[in-house]
Amino acid sequence: MLSEVLGLTSYPIEVEDLKYTYDGRKYAVDGISFSVREGEVFGMLGRNGAGKTTTIRILSTLLKRSSGSVKVLGMDPSTAGNHIRKRIGVVLQDESFDFTTVEKAFDVYGFIWGVSKSERDKKRESLLSTFELTDVRKKRMWDLSGGQKRRVQVAREFMHDMDLLFLDEPTSGLDPIARRNILNMIKDLTKDGLSVLFTTHNLEEADYLCQRVAIMNNGKILASDTIDALKTGYNGLKTVEVKIGGDQTGAESMFSKVSSGRVEPPFERELPYRIVTENTQETMQEIIKLALADSVQIEWLNVRAVSLEDVFISTIAGGV
Amino acid sequence: MNIVNSYRLMIRNVRVNTDPGTLVFLVLMPTIYLVFMGYMFGTLISQIPVGSTSINYKEFLSPGIAAFETATAGIVAGGLLWSDRRYGMFEQILSSPYTRAEYLFGILLTTLVFGFIGSGIMMLVSEAFLDYTAVSLMGVGLIVVSISLGSLFFGCMFLAIAAKVKSNQAYNSLTILIIFLVDFASTVFYPITSATPEALKVLFYVNPLTYIADVVRAGYISTVTTTDLVELLVTFIETMVMVAIAVLLYRKVRVGVT
Repeated sequence: MLSEVLGLTSYPIEVEDLKYTYDGRKYAVDGISFSVREGEVFGMLGRNGAGKTTTIRILSTLLKRSSGSVKVLGMDPSTAGNHIRKRIGVVLQDESFDFTTVEKAFDVYGFIWGVSKSERDKKRESLLSTFELTDVRKKRMWDLSGGQKRRVQVAREFMHDMDLLFLDEPTSGLDPIARRNILNMIKDLTKDGLSVLFTTHNLEEADYLCQRVAIMNNGKILASDTIDALKTGYNGLKTVEVKIGGDQTGAESMFSKVSSGRVEPPFERELPYRIVTENTQETMQEIIKLALADSVQIEWLNVRAVSLEDVFISTIAGGV
Repeated sequence: MNIVNSYRLMIRNVRVNTDPGTLVFLVLMPTIYLVFMGYMFGTLISQIPVGSTSINYKEFLSPGIAAFETATAGIVAGGLLWSDRRYGMFEQILSSPYTRAEYLFGILLTTLVFGFIGSGIMMLVSEAFLDYTAVSLMGVGLIVVSISLGSLFFGCMFLAIAAKVKSNQAYNSLTILIIFLVDFASTVFYPITSATPEALKVLFYVNPLTYIADVVRAGYISTVTTTDLVELLVTFIETMVMVAIAVLLYRKVRVGVT
């Protein structure tokens, strides 16, 4: 293992050539290797079905790996599951709640973790306040909105102490303020040495929170490094975004003729085309010329620096 | 397996299930059976032969309803697994310091608790509303053993269903159908007599609630016969088989799949 070779850095998570299959035919996780350092927030980015949740389930001992080598807090999840679970926290992607009031949900969850009554009361009050749940504390879980339920689910996990936290898309369904509160709280906790494995679709979040990220697709890690290092491949490049208006007929054909940059078509119709280019002036002129010639209507056009999202889309599309 | 962990989960199960709906289900429905049927049929039926003696209908019904609470407790057990799977707490608990075996044992302990609380309440209601007689020490022993076995049997039966059935509608329909069948194809409300059709008799004798009701009744009136002991043995065997089936199906329950 890497930590044994280096001898210095502590790695709460070490994964080598991990594979997992649900049906014995297709690998949901297909030979991934990565490690998470102590006190680090490590982001796993990927589209739905990329294998992020399966990886978290294996690392949190919920699933047994098909093959490969895994160490969590220095232990093998397949043989030391109970020891590992005592030291980890897991916020699942899907909702999980009991049919109780909000404050009882906190108390029961702390009780499950063996937290003393006085400590439970103290933590519950602090978390209700931090996660802005004081107003709904007497409400039953099923009466909450999706975002409120999610906040309870994330906040509840902090009822107990842990060395390693798995967060599977913890901010999905949250408003921007709640999202930022959670991210800031996680940031603060990592200062005390908490290590976090964090999955998200939201690349701004990953940019804000994670020291390193891995981009996953179809069960494989396509790229893994610090965010700055991943962006290095785009040094001197900029992104030109072009939103096509009205009838989009002809847009695909028009963009196929662009020669001044690399075109990345949108995943959804409502999103703009992106062209990663060295010379934005030349690209914009070329696009306008092509649009006029092909009678394609441009709704708006924008130039900006390369973002993690560009890196992500480019990596998934098999680019840099 | 750490029994303290299962005990802790049992406390959690009781805490999250002590909502008004569950309590009404556990107490009000059997109380209605007990009071309404006890008074109404009690005026129509004079004496029912039980073993070497005979008792009035109210005395016949009271222990039957106490036994019936084991099936109600079983529904609570199945409901726990079902809702924990449906609402993510199964996966959440298994990512906490608990093993699958501890989770299962926690539910079975919960079933026993609900079985005893439900039966106990019914006995108190019997004492308040009906002509209840004092129970001997041996009778108490028999009641405790049969309530335990009954709670375990039905707990495992509904656990097995919760482990297997995929949709909420199917689970609820199946539960209602089974509880209806189990209650009325047993000696909870009426005895098996020579006039009972043979086909129905078979159904009655396959149903463990028949034996549980008979043994609890024998415990109540302290007239234990060899037949009661044989019935207890049959209940024990049926319970062990049901425990094995439930464990087998529970082991196949996968996380993240409802």
